[in-house]
Amino acid sequence: MNNIFKFSIGIFSTLAFAWLAFVVGARKQFGDLEPSSSLLEEDGSIPDDAELFPRKLSGLALQGSKEYVSLGCTTCHTQQVRLVEAGFDVERGWGKRPSVPRDYIFHEEVNIGNTRVGPDLANVGQRGYSDEWLHTHLFQPQIVVPDSICPPSPFLYQTISTKTSSAIEVKEFSNEANSAIFIVPTLRAKRVISYLNSLKQDYELPEMSFIDEEDDQLSEESKPADESAEAKEEISSKLPVWLANQISAGKEVYMKVGPGGGMCFTCHQPTGLGLPGQFPPLAGSDWVLGNKERLIKITMHGLMGEIEVNGVKYNNVMAPPGIPPGSLTDQQIADVLTYIRNDWGNSASSISPEEVANIRESVKDRPSMQMWTSAELNSK
Amino acid sequence: MKIKAEKLIDNSAKWVVSFYVASAGLWLLAAAFLAYIASAKLTDPFFLSNFEFFTYGKVKIAQANAFVYGWGGNSIFAISLWVIARLAQAEVRGRFLHLAAGALWNIGITFGLLGIFDGHMNSHEMLEMPVEVWPLLFISYSIIATLILVTHRSRLKHETIAPQWFILASILWFPALLIIAWNGLEINPTRGTVQSVLSMWFGQNLIWLWLTPFALGAAYYIIPAIIGKAIDKYYLAIFGFWCIAALAPWSVVHHLEGGPVPMWIPAIGTVMSIAMIFPIAVASTNFHATAFKDINIVWNSLPLRFVIFGTLSYTISSYIGVVFSLPAVAKLTQFSIINEFHFNQRVYGFFSMIVFGMVYYMLPMITGKEIAKSAKSFHFWTSALGVLMLLLAYLIGGLTHGVLAQQPSLNWASSVISSVKPYFLITEMAFVILGFSQLVFVINIWKVLFPNPFKVIFNKSKVSA
Repeated sequence: MNNIFKFSIGIFSTLAFAWLAFVVGARKQFGDLEPSSSLLEEDGSIPDDAELFPRKLSGLALQGSKEYVSLGCTTCHTQQVRLVEAGFDVERGWGKRPSVPRDYIFHEEVNIGNTRVGPDLANVGQRGYSDEWLHTHLFQPQIVVPDSICPPSPFLYQTISTKTSSAIEVKEFSNEANSAIFIVPTLRAKRVISYLNSLKQDYELPEMSFIDEEDDQLSEESKPADESAEAKEEISSKLPVWLANQISAGKEVYMKVGPGGGMCFTCHQPTGLGLPGQFPPLAGSDWVLGNKERLIKITMHGLMGEIEVNGVKYNNVMAPPGIPPGSLTDQQIADVLTYIRNDWGNSASSISPEEVANIRESVKDRPSMQMWTSAELNSK
Repeated sequence: MKIKAEKLIDNSAKWVVSFYVASAGLWLLAAAFLAYIASAKLTDPFFLSNFEFFTYGKVKIAQANAFVYGWGGNSIFAISLWVIARLAQAEVRGRFLHLAAGALWNIGITFGLLGIFDGHMNSHEMLEMPVEVWPLLFISYSIIATLILVTHRSRLKHETIAPQWFILASILWFPALLIIAWNGLEINPTRGTVQSVLSMWFGQNLIWLWLTPFALGAAYYIIPAIIGKAIDKYYLAIFGFWCIAALAPWSVVHHLEGGPVPMWIPAIGTVMSIAMIFPIAVASTNFHATAFKDINIVWNSLPLRFVIFGTLSYTISSYIGVVFSLPAVAKLTQFSIINEFHFNQRVYGFFSMIVFGMVYYMLPMITGKEIAKSAKSFHFWTSALGVLMLLLAYLIGGLTHGVLAQQPSLNWASSVISSVKPYFLITEMAFVILGFSQLVFVINIWKVLFPNPFKVIFNKSKVSA
């Protein structure tokens, strides 16, 4: 304690330990995260065709983040949705899921903030506000949110009295005459709004998926979920667990609209009966219960032209299932085919992802969007 | 003989300390002015809203910077220099360098604040001043710190005591923190939320490793000096010191609870925050067991009254801080204006009160002029009232804010924030009171430091009174 050099070494080393952890350690652990996708392969690699998240910010939005900082917005606004156990942020609707470090890798200014006098802005870009609404709010928040204590920023707008194409009509909060004025956003205002619109954590990442707080409500309100729950119970009572799981996963693909879904029911109907003259049935279909290879190929690349199912001719186009088309993974194809071979009274052997992978390998030279014809499939 | 030596030291420190104290006073007024504007803008968003200069975010952040670097920095220089010189029984050296470096420091902050107002703000906690001024601040700080260390090294007695540890540690920690933050945020910038961890770590450590140890060291110096008795249970002080050194740098990140960082970071922060009860208890025991042996002296000596207000506030609020760092409580209070309670408690309730006491104790010795007791007393009571109002408003308002924010069904602006608005009004009044009180303080000290220009004005005011 008496020698200033020894003393310095002491007090700097206590600081250095914390520095090692919070700066060096933290940097090593999550300082070089890269964009990723929730559709990871089993071995953890990212599929080639998967869309990567988070998205890069546009140049305008990046400039907007600098304006956001320079105006001191961070003083009152956070940009982080806390973990479910650490607060009610998801329940309040401030995001579909808690924020994770990866969400911020493209932000040059990381404004997670620490005080919420204003609402959290981590997902302001997905709340469906129009640009006009946001501009009006930036110009004078009280016009759109009467109780707001957010300071107006009239210096970011030009006020004019006649309407032009780029002007936004507003009725000033303090204006008792109720006459409208028109505001024209400056470039700075446009940057800020572009930045705000870019703030959305509307994607899932391998480390964090959406929190389905409405699960319970859904199963009460909407029928499909209800049925699938029943179906799950029914199936699981008779079949081995792995098969029941595959079937229920397949049913999900069959019914799902959106990434990872096949949307099959839109044509073949939830009943599997199709529509007479337009879409062939799957229930009792000789194509579904027959040759697996044909079935897998159709599910990978789609089908066009004339086809005879159970003696009835159909002539239509089946685009490759999946969103985007042809994006179903081997596992999803195996699941959905196993499902259609085992529902609506059908009962046929299951299809494994390996079988799908083998066939995908055998036709790897075929362009992904080139649909099969019935003749082509039956000739081989 | 001893008195003569002290006189020599005081004389050697006179100009330098006067300069620092005088500039500290001006920054205090600037910060008080900005604090009032910021709080007024919260109660009426249209107040001064046409001037981009006065946007709430800018004013608020400029106020924090003026307060911490301007008022905090200058008063740390003044008091550290004098306490270290007194304890070393060595004269202050390098007076011209001191003045030059002090001037640089103030110029740096001035440019920094102008930069903030002009829209060149940075996004990092307590590093919001534009990066261009950091080198200036760092160089001027290094010169001042080196000169203080030189004075310390030329001490007569080899043994050091508690005030020296705390003050020297705070002097040495600041540049280390600045370099780490500078490297991690500018030179070799980190990506994503590593930045947030580092910026929070720096911002909070500035309070915990710069302002706090300094104020504790000053209290360790002044309490026995005025009471005339040794610190009670002094053997605990070294334990308290190393506890702060070892725990504080870890505890400060607990504010990231639940945020987009790996969970170990807030978890360590929370554990270490709870462990902070040991150094808090040590400081509290040392100060209060000594001071309350003779409550009359505390009551009658204004400098000591200020200091004990500060140490009591430190103890109580630090315990409150420990409670608020528990995850179950943090869930409610984390993003609420309780944060303002923590910051203002640290800088007003604790740091500033101790600085006021030290300045009132130090200035008469240095300049040989007494400050009117009634003026000091007025300053004390207005400060105490203002600080209590401010802290209670932020505490109760913060709890209201936090609890309501956790009701997902309540509308944000019309229910949650509207319920907090009355507390913003109280803080606005508190800042008015504090502003007056600080104006009295600055007049008090400027009157002593630079008697002539003010003579006429004050003679008049005395007559009218």
